Amino acid sequence: MRGEGSIQMIRKALVFPLALLLLLVAALPALGAVGCDLNDPDRDVARLFPDSSGYKTSYTAIDKRGGEPLLREVEKRLGDRFHGIYETIDVPYTIYEVYSGRRKAGYIHGVNQKGQFGGIQVFVALDMEGRIKSFYIQKMTSQWAKKLRDPRFGRQFAGLSLRDFEAYDPVAGKGSGRVAEIRNPAPEAEADFRAALRALKKNLILMDEFVYSAERGKP
Amino acid sequence: MISRFQIAYKNLLRKKARTLLTLVGIMLSSWVLVSLLGFNRGYEAALNRDIDNMGYQLMVMAKGCPYEAATMMLQGGTGLRYIEQSMVDSIVHRSEVDKVTPILMQAFFDPDKGDGGGIAGYFGVDAETFPTMKPFFRFRQGGWFHDEQAAEAVMGYEAAELEQREVGDKILVPEKNVQLKVVGILERTGTQDDGTIFVPLKTLQKISGIDKITTIGIKVKKDADSAKLEAALYQLPDVQVVSFTQVKQTIMKLVATARVMVLSIAIIAMLIAMAGVVNTILMSVLERLQEIGILKTMGAMPGDIFILVWTETLILCSSGGVAGIGLAFVFARLSDILVRRVLPYAPGGELVAIDLKLALLTLAVIVVVGLLSGIYPAWKAGRVRPLESIRSEG
Repeated sequence: MRGEGSIQMIRKALVFPLALLLLLVAALPALGAVGCDLNDPDRDVARLFPDSSGYKTSYTAIDKRGGEPLLREVEKRLGDRFHGIYETIDVPYTIYEVYSGRRKAGYIHGVNQKGQFGGIQVFVALDMEGRIKSFYIQKMTSQWAKKLRDPRFGRQFAGLSLRDFEAYDPVAGKGSGRVAEIRNPAPEAEADFRAALRALKKNLILMDEFVYSAERGKP
Repeated sequence: MISRFQIAYKNLLRKKARTLLTLVGIMLSSWVLVSLLGFNRGYEAALNRDIDNMGYQLMVMAKGCPYEAATMMLQGGTGLRYIEQSMVDSIVHRSEVDKVTPILMQAFFDPDKGDGGGIAGYFGVDAETFPTMKPFFRFRQGGWFHDEQAAEAVMGYEAAELEQREVGDKILVPEKNVQLKVVGILERTGTQDDGTIFVPLKTLQKISGIDKITTIGIKVKKDADSAKLEAALYQLPDVQVVSFTQVKQTIMKLVATARVMVLSIAIIAMLIAMAGVVNTILMSVLERLQEIGILKTMGAMPGDIFILVWTETLILCSSGGVAGIGLAFVFARLSDILVRRVLPYAPGGELVAIDLKLALLTLAVIVVVGLLSGIYPAWKAGRVRPLESIRSEG
């Protein structure tokens, strides 16, 4: 009995230092991958959803939501592997949930994409069914960026959804349907045009995996 | 035969709660003391390391020219003023100078960065001298430029991460539409170099159409008189000199003020702990007057009693001291985080540096101060008169 008591005492004595040790380890700075946020969320949400009354920000990542199997699934749907040191399983994604009064009006989500001369930040505003309300490139370094960032180019994507992208391979630039009909406004920047479309398709797939598939599963 | 140490130990165990509380007091004060001494040492070392990581201790630039990349970005590169590159030759031959490197800072407006556009900053550095100033740079990928006029760039860790660049990729200098090939990506340094894009000096001069420079970085010889060199540099026409030694001295003065305050608190904590020691031992002596009297009738000399009581003090102080130092070692990282939150400027790396030498020094201080506190109770115990104490009511 006395032996058991001693063991219990030792256990109790160990719990506190171990908990503190865990706390300290958790406090160590982690060198994570870079995410993609709106430059000015208050202003950008109001611009993309003029009727909105507020928004909520949440953060997620593939490694938190499904790990390796989810990554493989996203890659399969995208038709391309995640590549490079910056497109990894632990990239944090910021999802802006937009409200109009108490009603949820839609989402805003952005992804980073490697472009020809620098990182491209591609944002979409989506309605509750996953249809694109707005598409725009927040950042792009290219001589022809102006053409790709032109609102007239972005307006062509309004009303499209992930279903429209399923018949289109942005990496090869081939496919059919409404997406295939969208013309590159800067033929000199074909690589950046395809990169923007790849980013958009990836964006829609991720939103489907993170948000819409979960909402469809609701009773 | 039972030893003096065993008797002292058993005496302390008689009143466990009192002994434990005294131990906690000593432990906490030694924790604070060793952490503070560790901070004293660690902060200065970290600050020196940060300044060494700059690569140079002095910077010479045109009067009124911003020298911080952040300032340059805020001003959109409009505040830049230039100095002749020939000025490098007039500095490099001075006896106090170890190495010199010319730098050209340039900022270009990128209309496609965000909504209203943004500034992209570039550092033109001499391919030969700049790398020798930054020997601590480690490459994540690739290396330095292949020649001094190459259309190449080396990117800091965060710059590469933001632009999603790898070695072999291209970057575009906005406004000028010049393409550069990324030949190296640096490991994270924790300094402003992480967000910097380095380009060969001559390449950046060619891109911007400027044959001058903005800054000269000077590494001073170890034993040289930095102040004398600084004064001499001020004689050069239309320049300002930024000395990191001055910056360091200013920061150290600020920190010293805070340190004196914390040290005072540590000393007060130690005095309170020692008052606790005196109280505990004195109480223990007063409770054992009859016992001490009997020991004396059995032949114990005042010196024996003195050493017996003093041994109790020694056990208390050394155990509390060791426990406190142990805690300081275990929680050094936590202390580091807390100090970082409180300080207005905290250099990178370990701020609370505790090593064995410091731990032993603190333990010695605690034990010596504790033994001094124990003199009075031990002396009082040694002076107990055997017959009076035996007659007294227990």
